[in-house]
Amino acid sequence: MMATELIPVSVLTGFLGSGKTTILSHMLRQPEFSRTAVVINEFGEVALDHELIEKTEDSVIALTTGCLCCRVRSDLTKTLQDLLRRRDEGACTRFNRIVIETSGLADPAPILHTLMTDTALASRLVLGSVVATVDAVAGEVTLEREAISRKQVAVADRIVLSKLDLTGEVEDSLHNRLTSLNPRAPTSRAVYGRIESDNLFGVALHDPKARVLDVNSWLAEAPEHDHSAHDAEIKSFTVVRVEPIQAVALTLFLEALAEHCGADLLRLKGIVNVAESPQRPAVIHGVQHVFHAPAWLRHWPSDDRTSRMVLITRRIRREWVEVLLDAISAEVAEVSPGSRHRRARGSV
Amino acid sequence: MRGLSIDLVGELITQSLAAWHVAGTVELTGDRAIVIGAKSEIRIEPAPTHSVFRWTITIDGRTRPAISLLAVLRQVRGALDRGYTPCRVRVALLPVVPS
Repeated sequence: MMATELIPVSVLTGFLGSGKTTILSHMLRQPEFSRTAVVINEFGEVALDHELIEKTEDSVIALTTGCLCCRVRSDLTKTLQDLLRRRDEGACTRFNRIVIETSGLADPAPILHTLMTDTALASRLVLGSVVATVDAVAGEVTLEREAISRKQVAVADRIVLSKLDLTGEVEDSLHNRLTSLNPRAPTSRAVYGRIESDNLFGVALHDPKARVLDVNSWLAEAPEHDHSAHDAEIKSFTVVRVEPIQAVALTLFLEALAEHCGADLLRLKGIVNVAESPQRPAVIHGVQHVFHAPAWLRHWPSDDRTSRMVLITRRIRREWVEVLLDAISAEVAEVSPGSRHRRARGSV
Repeated sequence: MRGLSIDLVGELITQSLAAWHVAGTVELTGDRAIVIGAKSEIRIEPAPTHSVFRWTITIDGRTRPAISLLAVLRQVRGALDRGYTPCRVRVALLPVVPS
């Protein structure tokens, strides 16, 4: 049986009026996006945004039954299943990517949950990148007033600053706020909806062109920042381990994060050197208390064999995460047969 | 990697209280136990060698076993954090190794 091609699903999020539809409309006119299916979620009784998308394909679908994040997750699942069925039957373009434009009021986390956990979808779809739009004119005020806008930025793999045709330059204060919320996400600029980068959805776990996992781009690792000036609630940091992590320790660590952090773990993504699989690293991905089954790379993407886990959190202390992993790893090592750390029980 | 010492467990408990925004003091005793002074008095110590458990926790005079540090954290937080609801979520890293 032929292996089924996994189709990346990217999420375009951003607060109301931040330019999502304008950017999407422009993007869909580019040849490289000709095989893109679009799902647009609108919050309101009358769908409008999808009418603004100048595209004749029947692969643009509007969901108008409510906000994706709170009421119609099952609708999203059904919509995606229907899209796949139509693609298989040749009833629509044989798209090679899907973009979901969320409602401006949507929390992207439940949408990511749906994409990560629905077993019917998991065999056909893979989570692509999350792109957040921010209005360069009103963005700073919105970020200050609307908690959901901060969360949209915090979980993004890439940020697009829109409406630069109105303001020309980005205020340092807005730039600093975005950096504090999400220091690792590269920022692109949009003028009249045109984005300077042609790689908007390229920062993804799954790169359909290269057929490889571009882990470094996905992790978007940057030099460590001084986090003291970060947003009071949302922080981002990377946990690095040189020594391999035992699979059981990794499992227990993720379990502890899920149990004790819950909704405050906005996002976790990482590449892990699992002791039992030294040649094939695990790529892990979690949103709040839900973790995706790990993807096992065929080989390391570079000579760097360190485990790197990027956490985007709200009110979670880095010191706690670091010592939690250390303690769990040490306990697992202590009970593992043949471990040089093995000691008699109670020897601590 | 650090070996599992009572100092490391004490550091974990200290950081955990801070992470949970729970007030309390953490003290290491001379007999390799950890005592938490908070609204409940909690004593954590390695389980006896004949036990199938790894840890013993005494909360306000009542002693319970714990099979792992995760279980220790769950019991400590359950005793000190009124708003905490133990979550039964279990993370399965499947497959544990690539197939």
